[in-house]
Amino acid sequence: MNIKTLVSSTVMFSILTVSSITAVQAATDELVTVYSSRKEHLIKPLFEAFTKDTGIKVEYLTGKGGALIERLKLEGTNTKADMFMTVDAGNLWYAGSQDLFQGVQTDTLKSNIPAYLRDPQGLWTGLSVRARTIVYNTDRVQSEELSTYADLATDKWAGRLCLRTSKKVYTKSLVSSLIHHHGKDKTADIVKGWINNLAATPNAKDSHVMSAILSGQCDVGLVNTYYYGRLMDKKPNSPLKLFWANQNTTGVHVNVSGAGVTKYASNAKAAIQLLEWLSSAKAQAIYGSLNKEYPANQNIASDDVVSAWGSFKQDDMNLAQAGILQADAVKLMQIQGYR
Amino acid sequence: MEKNCFKSKIWISVVALLVAMPIFVVAFSWALPEHELWAHFSENILSDLISSTLILLLGVGVGVTLLGTVLAYLVVMVEFPGRKWLEWALFLPFAIPAYVLAFVYLGVFDYSGYAQVWMRETLGIPGFDIRAGSWAIILMFVLVFYPYVYMMTRASFKRQKINMIEAGRLLGASPIRVFFKVSLPLARPAVAAGLLVTLMETLADFGVVSLFNYDTFTTAIYSAWGDFRSIEVAAQLASLLVLVAFFLIYFEKKARGQAKYYSANMANKKPYHATGIKGWLISLFVFGVFMLSFAMPMLQLVIWGWSSVADEWSAKYIDLIASTSILTITAALITIAFATILALPGRCKQTSVWLQSVIRLATLGYALPGSVMAVGLLYGINQISIINIHFGGESINHIIYGSIALLLFAYVSRFMAIAYSSIEASAQQIKPVFTQSARLLGASRMRLIWQVYLPMMTPGILAGGLLVAVDVMKELPATYLLRPFGWDTLAIQTYELSAEGLFERAAIPALIMVVFGALLMSVFQVLDKKSSKSA
Repeated sequence: MNIKTLVSSTVMFSILTVSSITAVQAATDELVTVYSSRKEHLIKPLFEAFTKDTGIKVEYLTGKGGALIERLKLEGTNTKADMFMTVDAGNLWYAGSQDLFQGVQTDTLKSNIPAYLRDPQGLWTGLSVRARTIVYNTDRVQSEELSTYADLATDKWAGRLCLRTSKKVYTKSLVSSLIHHHGKDKTADIVKGWINNLAATPNAKDSHVMSAILSGQCDVGLVNTYYYGRLMDKKPNSPLKLFWANQNTTGVHVNVSGAGVTKYASNAKAAIQLLEWLSSAKAQAIYGSLNKEYPANQNIASDDVVSAWGSFKQDDMNLAQAGILQADAVKLMQIQGYR
Repeated sequence: MEKNCFKSKIWISVVALLVAMPIFVVAFSWALPEHELWAHFSENILSDLISSTLILLLGVGVGVTLLGTVLAYLVVMVEFPGRKWLEWALFLPFAIPAYVLAFVYLGVFDYSGYAQVWMRETLGIPGFDIRAGSWAIILMFVLVFYPYVYMMTRASFKRQKINMIEAGRLLGASPIRVFFKVSLPLARPAVAAGLLVTLMETLADFGVVSLFNYDTFTTAIYSAWGDFRSIEVAAQLASLLVLVAFFLIYFEKKARGQAKYYSANMANKKPYHATGIKGWLISLFVFGVFMLSFAMPMLQLVIWGWSSVADEWSAKYIDLIASTSILTITAALITIAFATILALPGRCKQTSVWLQSVIRLATLGYALPGSVMAVGLLYGINQISIINIHFGGESINHIIYGSIALLLFAYVSRFMAIAYSSIEASAQQIKPVFTQSARLLGASRMRLIWQVYLPMMTPGILAGGLLVAVDVMKELPATYLLRPFGWDTLAIQTYELSAEGLFERAAIPALIMVVFGALLMSVFQVLDKKSSKSA
């Protein structure tokens, strides 16, 4: 064997591998293809139930939101994706602004999902609602001491606050909402106050924030409620409670996970069917029980565990704002040194 | 002769330029300047990021050099209790992805981790934030990356002539003096190569730094892309990383100097015997490193995995294991094939600045963060399509995007540096006299390659292949973006679960990866022993 044979056989091998995969992909019936930045273990049970109900198969590719958007952009008209699913209104808004979605407004979607959780042109539809609010250690904090997001910036919380990193999209959207309500200057003061009050370097994850609170490193923090739900599921006796922030003012900051039908979907019909199905009571219940999120479909009740946390007033800021203000929010946090 | 040179120039250039494609794409980003974002970055974050990156590089560099060379010296030159298995056990941390080690470490040593809880409750020592400052993350990287230096330096120590060490001993030098005056200078190219790989890997890391929330230059790249949606500025920043890597390589070359170390295999006898308490102290130290970098995190993973195996294990894992294995093995084979073409000794190469430059270019991909590399490839393919359409052809995007070929391309581009430095190091060991005598005997270049060069380069090729395979297995960002449907890997599964904070379940795919990596390592061990016997 010489070097040429070696190289050519390597090349042949890779070509064979490629073609065998293409062959596998070609042999399918009705199929809808989804790019998703929601993790596999959260979407697979939903898609399986959809296939069971309709016979339509779902093929999906998970990835990071920003990277998948880039891939969709570059694939253009040739994309295999019929649907793009992601978390955070900012990401959905951005995908919409990059002309990656087609407008979908069906009666089913309109009756299942309230208008404020849908894009005005129907580019994307919110499918689950997540609330970001205050979590506190019941041994060390009385609920009367708590009030608003802004209050966590005051001196009484010095050395008692834990926050998640500013790099996470949920933080960015929350700060976008603060800018929306209070303007940039006031928001900069709030962020500055938070940083002064930090008991530890901002954590990479909400679950770390809660561990830190439980271990006494800090007393209060901000989390998405479903992370709290998961923790309490595992350790029901933890001295940890949610507090609904801003109830006398703007309401709890909410965000969505959602999806849209891609502009160049080759099977838009099936994608719309999937979207409608995901908004149905049945699918919404799965969302709730799988991940302890709030249903976007207001006709069904929350999961039992979730309802037990009590009802609360939501921030009614139009969610597109979270996307529009996101770059400002990041700039502001970077200037204030919020890592 | 000239024709011969022309042919090899074409061969090497084609391979090298192909591998370097993402680098060109990244460099072209400067065609689209974006002043506003640059102003914000340079005004508000860049100076902090640069200094924190430099601190990290310095700390990690010093750390891995010390730990890697000392461990390599001990296992090669000194006989101490448990040496035989520790020599191999020290490779094992390499099988654990850095981000996995990071989440295990945070789980154990962060304020809420067992270790600190125990310290506070039993010893009464107040808790502290281990993510503050840079010492913890430096330690973390040192524990993850020391195997690079260890592996390369160990191979180099093994090739050192025993008579030089003997000479030192006869002159009355202590083992420590021999280490500094004889062994270390001789091993300098290997240490530099290991250090280079470590520093490039540290520069490109995103997983560990995000878990520790430690800001490096890579943070700015992701911020430009993720926060400000500017892929151009992200690429421009990334091109600066490449520039840094370029200088690192330059200094490595310089550190090596003109010296070439031709050497023979050393006898299996160890020059030094550490007996009694000294021997046990050495054992304890080496074992301690093994415990911290491998055994302890493994134990934690096993505990987590045990509690979640019922929830997490399913037939899907067969698929994950299959995809991971196919990708790993194929990518390693292609990468070492290309790296060997680039590293084969040849007269043309030594004299041609052009060839040396394109080869350098081909190894720079290692400094690019995986996602930037991946997007760079997508953009590169898109440019080819645009040119193709311009000349009346069709877009090739839909054929290439989401094909396994593109993913393999990304691996080859990204990990060429590792394969190349390992293979090139072994090519450097070939004495010119071999080439000369073969030529005198009338051997063709092909025969020379197959019967002289390749057999002599085998240890380097094997080591390079192993390193690439383990790296591909652990690779996350490029795989995540470029993989075809249904090609989820163990690394992706680990990431998806740990990103949601489900560390117990993430332990399952992580453990499989470690076992898989350990298997690769033992294959390497067998091959390495064989090749050192036959050489």
